[in-house]
Amino acid sequence: MSVQSVYIAKERLKNLLVSDRVQCAPDAVERLTKELYQTVSKYVEAGQGQIDIKITRTDIHIKYMGENH
Amino acid sequence: MGEVIVITSGKGGVGKTTTTANIGIGLSILGKKVLVIDTDLGLRNLDVVLGLENRIVYNLVDVIEGSCRLKQALIQDKRYPGLCLLPSAQTRDKTSVSPEQMTKLISEIREDYDFVLLDCPAGIEQGFQNAIAGAERAIIVTTPEVSSIRDADRIIGLLEASGIRRNELVINRLRIDMVRRGDMMSVDDVTEILAVDLLGVIPDDEQVVIATNQGEPAVGDGSAAGRSYMDICRRLNGEDIPIEDYTKQGGLFGKISGFFRRNQGGQ
Repeated sequence: MSVQSVYIAKERLKNLLVSDRVQCAPDAVERLTKELYQTVSKYVEAGQGQIDIKITRTDIHIKYMGENH
Repeated sequence: MGEVIVITSGKGGVGKTTTTANIGIGLSILGKKVLVIDTDLGLRNLDVVLGLENRIVYNLVDVIEGSCRLKQALIQDKRYPGLCLLPSAQTRDKTSVSPEQMTKLISEIREDYDFVLLDCPAGIEQGFQNAIAGAERAIIVTTPEVSSIRDADRIIGLLEASGIRRNELVINRLRIDMVRRGDMMSVDDVTEILAVDLLGVIPDDEQVVIATNQGEPAVGDGSAAGRSYMDICRRLNGEDIPIEDYTKQGGLFGKISGFFRRNQGGQ
C-alpha cells in the first residue's frame, strides 16, 4: 500500500509554515537556501540536484548526494 | 452593543461567504439581530448566497460616500426578521473605501445589532484591511488542504498584528471518510498546526450546494452541514455545545463502516 497522503500533506505544510513564519525578510528562507548551496558548492563539486537543503522549525539539513547515490 | 466579527480566510473559495450567510441566518433564527456586510467590493456574492440579489438598490459604497442613508441600503430579509444585509458594490473597486471609513461606519451601526458579520474578500490587500478594520473578533475559515491552511496561518498572523486576538477557526468541507483513510488532515491535525481555538467543523455536504443553488441556507435544515452551522451559531450565542468528535467511529455512518470492517476481519 502506498503512503497515506495525509503524511505528505502535513510534512509539506510544516515546511511551508516554517518558511512563512521565519520570514525576517519575505524571501529569507529562499536566500538562505541559495547561499548555503553556493557555500557548499565552493568546496564540493555538485550540481543543484545533488544538494538537498531543508530548513525546518529547529534544524537546517544539508544533504549531499555524491557519487554513491 | 453588537459584537463585530470578520469572517476571513486568505485563500479564496474555501467558504467564507457561505459561512457568513449560514451563521447570519442561524443567529437570526436564534432570535438575534444580525447585520451581514459584504465587503468584497467589485465581486458581490453574499446577496446571491442569501437569495437577496434582486432587492439591491444601494450598497456599501453609496452609504460611505453619503449618496444614500444607511437605512435605504439595508435589505431586510423577509424570511428571517432579525437579519439585514448591507450589500457590496459590483462596479467599484477596493480603493473606493478606506479602513478608517469602515471603522467609522461600523462604530455607528453596531449598537443597533447583536452581531455584525463582515464577509471579507480573499487576499491580504486593501479589501482585507477594510474588512478587518472595524472588527474585534475573527472567524478564520479553512479547508483541510495545504494551501488553505497555509493562508489561514498567514491571516492569523496578520490579524494578531492588527490587534485582533480573539481568533477562532472553522474547518470547512471535512471529508470524514477521507480522514479515516489517511488521505485528509483531521481536525486535530489542523488545530495543532494553526494553534487557535476551534469554533466548529462543517462536514463536506452536497446539501450546501443545493441550498446555495436555491438561495437558501443550509443552517437549520436536517443536513449534517446545517446542524454543524447551527452548533456554531449556538456557540457564538454563548451556549456550551461540544464539537462533534469526527475522530471516533460515531454516528450511523461510523457504525455501518465499523460493522463491515469487523465482518472483513472475521473472514
